[in-house]
Amino acid sequence: MIHALLWMCLLLPPQSPEPSVPPDALPLLQSGIDAENRGAFDQAVDAFRKAAELAPNSAIIFLRLGDTYMKERDYVAAIPPLKHAAELSPDTPAVHQLLGYALLAAGYAADAIPHLKIVNDSGALGIAQLQAGQVAEAVTNLQAALAKSPDDPDLLFYLSRAATALAGQSLDRLRSIDPNSARGHQALGQTDYEMKMLPQAAKEYQQAIALRPDLPGLRLELGQVFAAGSEWAKAEEQFRGEAKLQPGSAEAAYRLGNALLQQGKMKEAAEELKRSDALSPDMPETLNALGKAAAISDPDVAEHALQRVIELEKQTPLVGQAFLVLAQIHRRQGKTEQAARDMENYRKIQALVGHPPS
Amino acid sequence: MTRRELLSLLYSLGAREFGRLLPAQDARPSTSPVFQVKALKGVDFVLRNSPTARKHLIETMPGGVALLDYNNDGLLDIFFVNGGHVRDKMAIPASFDRRNPAYWNRLYRQNPDGTFSDVTKQAGLADAGDSNYGMGVAVGDYDNDGFSDIYMTNFGKNILYHNNGDGTFTDVTAKAGVAAGGWSASAGFFDYDNDGRLDLFVTRYLDWSIEKSKTCGSEKPTYCPPGDFPAITNILYHNRGDGTFEDVSVASGIAAKKGHGLGVAFADYDGDGFTDIFVANDVTDQFLFHNNGNGTFTECGLDSGAALSESGKMPSGMGVVFQDYDNDGLPDLLITQLPHDPYVLFHNDGKGSFSAQELEAGLGALSGNVSGWGVGLEDFDNDGWKDAFIVQGHVFDNVQIYDDSLRYREPPLLAMNRAGRFERADPGSDLPVAGRGAAFGDLNNDGWMDVVTTSLGEAPQFYLNRRGQLHWLTIMLRGKRSNRDGFGARVQVNGQTRFATAAGSYLSSNDKRLHFGLGSAQTADIEIRWPSGIRQVVRDVKADQFIVIEESVQP
Repeated sequence: MIHALLWMCLLLPPQSPEPSVPPDALPLLQSGIDAENRGAFDQAVDAFRKAAELAPNSAIIFLRLGDTYMKERDYVAAIPPLKHAAELSPDTPAVHQLLGYALLAAGYAADAIPHLKIVNDSGALGIAQLQAGQVAEAVTNLQAALAKSPDDPDLLFYLSRAATALAGQSLDRLRSIDPNSARGHQALGQTDYEMKMLPQAAKEYQQAIALRPDLPGLRLELGQVFAAGSEWAKAEEQFRGEAKLQPGSAEAAYRLGNALLQQGKMKEAAEELKRSDALSPDMPETLNALGKAAAISDPDVAEHALQRVIELEKQTPLVGQAFLVLAQIHRRQGKTEQAARDMENYRKIQALVGHPPS
Repeated sequence: MTRRELLSLLYSLGAREFGRLLPAQDARPSTSPVFQVKALKGVDFVLRNSPTARKHLIETMPGGVALLDYNNDGLLDIFFVNGGHVRDKMAIPASFDRRNPAYWNRLYRQNPDGTFSDVTKQAGLADAGDSNYGMGVAVGDYDNDGFSDIYMTNFGKNILYHNNGDGTFTDVTAKAGVAAGGWSASAGFFDYDNDGRLDLFVTRYLDWSIEKSKTCGSEKPTYCPPGDFPAITNILYHNRGDGTFEDVSVASGIAAKKGHGLGVAFADYDGDGFTDIFVANDVTDQFLFHNNGNGTFTECGLDSGAALSESGKMPSGMGVVFQDYDNDGLPDLLITQLPHDPYVLFHNDGKGSFSAQELEAGLGALSGNVSGWGVGLEDFDNDGWKDAFIVQGHVFDNVQIYDDSLRYREPPLLAMNRAGRFERADPGSDLPVAGRGAAFGDLNNDGWMDVVTTSLGEAPQFYLNRRGQLHWLTIMLRGKRSNRDGFGARVQVNGQTRFATAAGSYLSSNDKRLHFGLGSAQTADIEIRWPSGIRQVVRDVKADQFIVIEESVQP
């Protein structure tokens, strides 16, 4: 994690010693800075330590010493001099920032938080809060940091962790306050589903539906549990219920269409997938499923849908699948040259992205 | 003797050979079980795979079963392939304790009263080689002497047993030159060059050895996926006709492709008169070897649409059957695989191309969360449509640790064919087993197809057909110019088509007789295209009988 911090670490630039340092310590301070400039950190530490002995009230010397330890990645050793520097110069932001980083890097996340708050370093603060279990605050601060650096991979990583942890905490709380509510059963069902405990998950969702038959999403999730177990008739029943409850839901229509497709009910599947496409156009999965469903009964519709997948997706396994189905359609139509071109395109895609996982 | 007289004689011979016809029983309701599952008296085989904590991959893969009439008494006998004794820590070179009777393969002769006798020792089949861990079996009359020979595959060296015709077999592997080596899986006899002699194809699974064995699994030790081991070539042996075979794997182009071969099936999918080969590969493209008719093959699975599943994935192909399920006259492919995708059905669209139609045929609703191995397309209710029977069970004996929705032991899948669409039916047992091999045949000569299956660590299961009142016809081919078994012949009866073969399924060999359900028809017209190219038509054949049809010498 310390590597994630160092990118934003305010390391002190090598410079000349400040005039407030006692004269007898100045040569040692200068010697330390010179050594640090050469990258001779051990010599620099030695010089700064001797200077600190001569000038125990000079914040800059302790800051320099702590900074050198940080450069050596000895975060535990950096903490005492930085703490002393903070006592001597409590209004110096650089001291609090370095001390915050050192504490966070050494695993003292809760202790780091006040120092990082002083300098308003939302990124490091968010990470520290995540480590300290202050998940909601961590999400807020990491989002703020990402607003300034939207493509920072470390911030994105920690935000995703914080968001997951926040979701987990919310579910835990939901389960603890009312485990027998519809939402409580839904939460348990979701957990069971993630753990691939499909029968248990189905039972939780069924209890949730019994309590709140009007709640959108329950049947969709229960249908997905059945689909994961290849119980497609049961999945169809649930997706159909969801589609009735939410006629405007493209996802419900897609999942119903896919359940019909898996059962070989091709015409019905194609109709439902067309409806999903109308509700939310250009969803590649929907178009791909439509291509399969209509491949025999309505090859023109299938071809159009699959060509659209290819336009939308460019280079993904879905495009490979689309070329395969197109090749089947063209072979059946006797268009052998076109089928050969489809297979050539399939091979190109496959070489780039591989097969879908078996 | 006129042709009609000859055929008449052969019909009566057939009736004598397979003459224990039983009267048709009452029609069963559609919901009643199709089979009665029961033990067969005298069969005490147990498939000993020897699971270990080290999870050596071979121990979860056996074993085959063959239905054959080795003594030509008209009754089907049963040959079981056993695994061997595997230990956590194996010595090098490996020894599987095959001299211990517990690990013998077993041949059971069927007696006239329907019981069986273990004739393994007297038949000379007791010693399968201490360094051989058993896998599969192929049956065919490779020397056209009228007696079925047995080829047994192993991890180790394969064995060819010549049937001496007196109830005994002789190990002729060394002379024949068909020992192969490494890890062989399914094998089958067929005549690829139509010279009237059966050749031999052997699939090989992995470049694996005890030294290379390893254990996988994040939570608990389990078996490693095939991709953890290098792919390997299959083997084609050409029958020279003098009791020896030549390895033509390289010259024929078969060795140009490496895979993870497990199942093999044969049929002439493009009607050019030459038998083609399909290899079910485990998580590799499936292989369709087109027979070029000049001794060479071209692998064309991908370009023919028979390599990948409907979802574009590489199936974990285990077993395969190459027969016509939708009565359009063209052989289709049904391939079993592991979860989480349906069993793969490549429909033969004609002109040499296939399309994955497992969803259209209803298999998506019947499979997907199950693991399939041995497979057959047979007309179990004699309605004129071939039904599917699949033996099931996961590879991992601890699969529930990884996915609670999966099971190591599963009951078989029986799916009745309703005009090209499959519907689940009651096989007569929901007892879950770690199923592997399956062989299909009419065990009791009643005109209704039965099934014998193997499962790891257990006795085999016998699915005896409860019968109904519809009509049937069973044909035994006798090649003259073609190979004596007639393998490779296309036989059409009242609009149905079968391709003569004993191969297919997983590691197993089926009754070579060709069974047709005739529905309510009381007569049948038969058209045969022999591998020799001869076409033979027999009209107005009475239903409900076994007949032998000898190849006409007139083209």
